[in-house]
Amino acid sequence: MISVQSISKSFGEVEAVKNVSLEAADGQITALLGANGAGKTTSMRMIYALIKPATGTVMIDGIDSVKDPIAARARMGVLPDARGLYTRLTARENIEYFGRLQGMTDADISRRIDEMVERLGMEKFIDRKTDGFSQGQRVKVALARCLVHDPQNILLDEPTNGLDVMSTRGVREFLRDEKAKGKCILFSSHVMQEVSAVCDDIVVIDAGVIRSRGSESELLAETGRTNLEDAFVHLVTGGQL
Amino acid sequence: MKASAFKTVYWKEVVENLRDKRTMLSSVIMGSIMGPLLMVGLMNMTVKMQKDKSEKPLELPVVAMEHAQALETFLLAQGVEIKTIDKSPEQVIKDKDHDVVLVIDAGFSDAMAEGKPAKVMLYYDDSAKGAAKVTVRRARALINAYSKGIGNMRLQLRGVSPSLLKAVYIEDHDLSTKASRGAMLLSFLPYFLIIGLFAGSMYLAIDTTAGEKERKSMEPLFLNPVARSSILAGKLAATVSFGLLTLVLTVLAFKLTLPWYPFEKLGMSFDLNVTSMLLMFLVLAPLALLAGSIQTIIAAFAKTFREAQTYVGLLIMVPMIPSMMLMFLPVKEKLWMMAIPILNQNLIINQMIRGEVVGWDAIAVTFASTMVLGLALAWVAVQLYNREKMLFSD
Repeated sequence: MISVQSISKSFGEVEAVKNVSLEAADGQITALLGANGAGKTTSMRMIYALIKPATGTVMIDGIDSVKDPIAARARMGVLPDARGLYTRLTARENIEYFGRLQGMTDADISRRIDEMVERLGMEKFIDRKTDGFSQGQRVKVALARCLVHDPQNILLDEPTNGLDVMSTRGVREFLRDEKAKGKCILFSSHVMQEVSAVCDDIVVIDAGVIRSRGSESELLAETGRTNLEDAFVHLVTGGQL
Repeated sequence: MKASAFKTVYWKEVVENLRDKRTMLSSVIMGSIMGPLLMVGLMNMTVKMQKDKSEKPLELPVVAMEHAQALETFLLAQGVEIKTIDKSPEQVIKDKDHDVVLVIDAGFSDAMAEGKPAKVMLYYDDSAKGAAKVTVRRARALINAYSKGIGNMRLQLRGVSPSLLKAVYIEDHDLSTKASRGAMLLSFLPYFLIIGLFAGSMYLAIDTTAGEKERKSMEPLFLNPVARSSILAGKLAATVSFGLLTLVLTVLAFKLTLPWYPFEKLGMSFDLNVTSMLLMFLVLAPLALLAGSIQTIIAAFAKTFREAQTYVGLLIMVPMIPSMMLMFLPVKEKLWMMAIPILNQNLIINQMIRGEVVGWDAIAVTFASTMVLGLALAWVAVQLYNREKMLFSD
């Protein structure tokens, strides 16, 4: 359960995020939908406690992530926009590294890796050095790596960016499974079909401000449009289009 | 088993970089072996050239030998091979055909007959390298010997003892020992040890900071529920370990190449026993912390691996300054100098290779001052990533 109350952040003169509030409930997939540069990544970075918001609070399962970022991070698994792997290590070693940093025992790590290998279909490359991995293979390893500790809250920044159809479907299926287990999933995206395909709740962000929120049908009703893309354009242009 | 974040990061960086042949070859192996090998080679070459020049019959190009036949006989008797040249003496020296040219003045034989100083000219290049100077010195010594012989003869003919000309004579007492003469040639050693140490940790300092940022694995790494400072401390410890590894290898490489140094030919002696090696390591070890920390700090400000490489590469020039200075300027060691890192290591190692006993106070001050500065910089390095703008390269 993620609860964000009016967070803001400026970089020099630029106000990247202004008074953003949102809630992501357990057992749901919530999308932060916005164009490039709308403030998605900055909002996400504040939520997953990488940078501190200038105002407002972020609560992760009741833990204030500004005051206690380490405890809050332990409750989250984050796939950030930056998802570089260590190319001199094997996929398994990449995941193990993060498992140890999560404070897991070696036995737990190896059990969880076996599970992730099966669910994400990584049998063929789990023990290969990650140098030369395809984009799809890299995202799978990065996903397994950030979720190795089986966190209650899953945050993903543009998770299917650059993935082919099969890999995208794999990731979506994985997220639906996690949702079924009652996890809280928040992901940012600019891809309408994707949001439309997997999300229960949509938060539309533009120029650092939340424009609207609700399920897809609620947003369509609010704007009087027939598809999410038109509804989105309507919202971010302030009703001009 | 649960492992602490520090240990986890440390071992991951060590294993990852040990797997990287480029790191191992370019910094650790090259950093440690290059210096000692280079010096063995250079020293042997210099000694061989000087020996050739001083033992081989002197080849002396002479212009207008016909003006000084007695000198010619003298030179030939001394085993000199007299040569003729078909260019001007200036051109010969400029073209490096010979190291020295002797020109006999046209008035030589007349002056000689009248008992006036007879003139000869020596052409040479005083800025030429060591071996050429040997030739010039030999030519000069031969002319002087000839001049002295004739002079003495003249005095004796007039019934005057030549020793009257020597009002004062100098008796030399050279107090240099075999070890201290060895030290002159070995004054490069602290330099190579320090450079090796900087080179050894350089790659990791960059790879674990700017490299990690460039590969985009920095952000996911910092999302683990551990303090950034413990991650950085692990990285720094790995960096310092590689510096220390290179240092140990440099000392060993130096020890192993010692038999090939031409000490005996130069009438010098030098030995490096285990105690001295340990002492060298002790004095230099805190410098590894200092080097790794500065390199990490600098690399942290760079956005890419290449950019960091440029900055950190320039840093290697810094330890050159005291080393170079001490190679040319003799300095009397004072205790306060031992409080200046890098200068103090240079001084102590120079003392050791001169065979002098190094005071424990000097060692203590050196160790402590370097360690304190090293720890202070390490603290800065570990705190760096608490600043948000250090986290992203975009």
